Amino acid sequence: MAAPGAALDDFGGAEAHADYAGAARRNRGFRAGKSVASYLVLVLFALIAVGPFVYLLSPSLRQSYELFTYPPQWIPHTVYWGNFGRVLHETSYYRWGLNTFIFATAVTLITLVLDTLAGYAFARLRFAGRTALFALVISTLMIPTAAIIAPLYIMISRLPAWTHAGVNTYLGLILPMVCSPLGVFMMRQFISTLPEGLVEAARLDGASEFQIFRRIVLPLIKPAIVVLGIFTFMMQWVNFLWPLVITTTDSMKTLTVGVASLQGQFVTDWGVISAAAVMTMAPVIVVFLIFQRWFVQASMAGALKQ
Amino acid sequence: MSAEETEAAWNRLTLSPDQFRRASSRYRRRRGSAAYLFILPYFIPFLAFLVVPVFWSIWLSFNKGGILDSPHFVGLQNWREIAGDTELTGSIKNTAIYAVEAILLVFTLALLLALLLNRYRKGSNVFKLALYVPLLAPAVLVGLIWQFVTNYDFGLFNLILTSLGFGRVNIFGNGTLALLTIVFAEVWRGLGFWTLYFLASLQSVPEELLDAARVDGAKGVQRFRRVTIPMLRPMLLFAAVIAIIANFQVFDTVYVLTQGGPYQSTSTLVWFIWKRLFQFQQTGQGYAAAVLLLGIILVLTAISFWLLGSRRRHERAA
Repeated sequence: MAAPGAALDDFGGAEAHADYAGAARRNRGFRAGKSVASYLVLVLFALIAVGPFVYLLSPSLRQSYELFTYPPQWIPHTVYWGNFGRVLHETSYYRWGLNTFIFATAVTLITLVLDTLAGYAFARLRFAGRTALFALVISTLMIPTAAIIAPLYIMISRLPAWTHAGVNTYLGLILPMVCSPLGVFMMRQFISTLPEGLVEAARLDGASEFQIFRRIVLPLIKPAIVVLGIFTFMMQWVNFLWPLVITTTDSMKTLTVGVASLQGQFVTDWGVISAAAVMTMAPVIVVFLIFQRWFVQASMAGALKQ
Repeated sequence: MSAEETEAAWNRLTLSPDQFRRASSRYRRRRGSAAYLFILPYFIPFLAFLVVPVFWSIWLSFNKGGILDSPHFVGLQNWREIAGDTELTGSIKNTAIYAVEAILLVFTLALLLALLLNRYRKGSNVFKLALYVPLLAPAVLVGLIWQFVTNYDFGLFNLILTSLGFGRVNIFGNGTLALLTIVFAEVWRGLGFWTLYFLASLQSVPEELLDAARVDGAKGVQRFRRVTIPMLRPMLLFAAVIAIIANFQVFDTVYVLTQGGPYQSTSTLVWFIWKRLFQFQQTGQGYAAAVLLLGIILVLTAISFWLLGSRRRHERAA
């Protein structure tokens, strides 16, 4: 606190100075205490955030009945790998993982193509009805799947066989999830920030609109594509309600639906559930640690761009 | 290049007004139709899977059947039925209680953590990463993980209680506690997101304002109350509406943790819709409740846009 010190230099004698020094010392002590307390709070919440994942390892490496012994044996005497074996061999875990990967990847790729094209048109092209159509997109921004799940189910389940879409098909799972208004909105916002001169210059050089999009705009919006890609993939990776409704056979379930179905399938086997949870989270956490910067941007993009 | 040559070249390049009009309208037409080609691939699924289902949903609310058989028109019967359905009113009440509790708790904690991370930058990246990890988990997994904390026999919570000499608590036998468990699961999952959101908001508060307040002798708490909070208010309000919209759709954790029990005390609006549509085949009531959800979300969306607009107007005026 320099300002009061300067004031004291001007007015006060030695006595005031000593007072001030004491106050500053106390203040320093107080501030050190405060920062220690602050870091303790941060550490506490970091532990609360990560702790459950670490704690999950314990039941996954023990026999299920050991969960019910008291006092609890946090760290197993002998490591039991059987839970992981049972997840892999007694459930369709591989298949669920594959389904989730196909579902989330397909939705992400289709969304990226559709949303960058539409975002570019809304940001840089003039056409009749542009404002009205964009308003329509924006007004559907928040519509929850739950509110339209009945028509979606009826539509998909009644599609004729030649479409290869229906209940328990990949197309049926994927198609209704590919029209995210948020993606179009994000892309429009991002492309609007590009300098208009670039596009104009290419246009004067005689490039077609698609060439401009492909050669000029696409290379410049790579960061936005990565962010929207991760965001979309994450949205589908955690998606539960739609896969729950549109898949009924075990072999078409996604990981979320499959792992949820482990509960109470037999008498709930908590060792198996914790092993499945560990197997599901471990790869995601590794990918996250590698690409952390992009993840954080992706999750913020949904909220902050607005 | 001689003057004549230059002029000849210029004449070749310039168009007569008539030529120009024709060329430019041809150009604009081409560009305009190109634009429709750009938006068409998006608009086909957008209309088919979002816009049409909204109107279809509204129409279905005047019908019964439809999931397994064809729908038949029943007029306002569904709406009359759900108007007197205590399970629905209970579900809406539970959802509202859940949303308020979850948002108050997560906003308070997130604001606190954001303030700390904003003040103490050393090592803050590690904390940010740790707080973010729960966001990677699907809500279904969060619910299952939460079982290991709340289970009667082996949950961490009950183990702590017994080791302290208290009796065990059957959390899922008590409506209030069961709902709180779902609240905590959501708070745990969402805390990282809201902390980062508020941190970004805090960093947008102009440093000069805080400095000015400091020079005027405002203490830390005063600066927070008189400068930071008023600056954050528009963002907080907007965040609250977004959070209400998100929390009104709670379903996954209910599905794995409580299945709406005990005695429907954790039944939420989406749980009600799903159960009536796909479990009980009481589709009419499910349709009407879905339209109710749609209405609630649309009103909230309108409020959030209005808030954004007033923030823009405010910023422009300032």
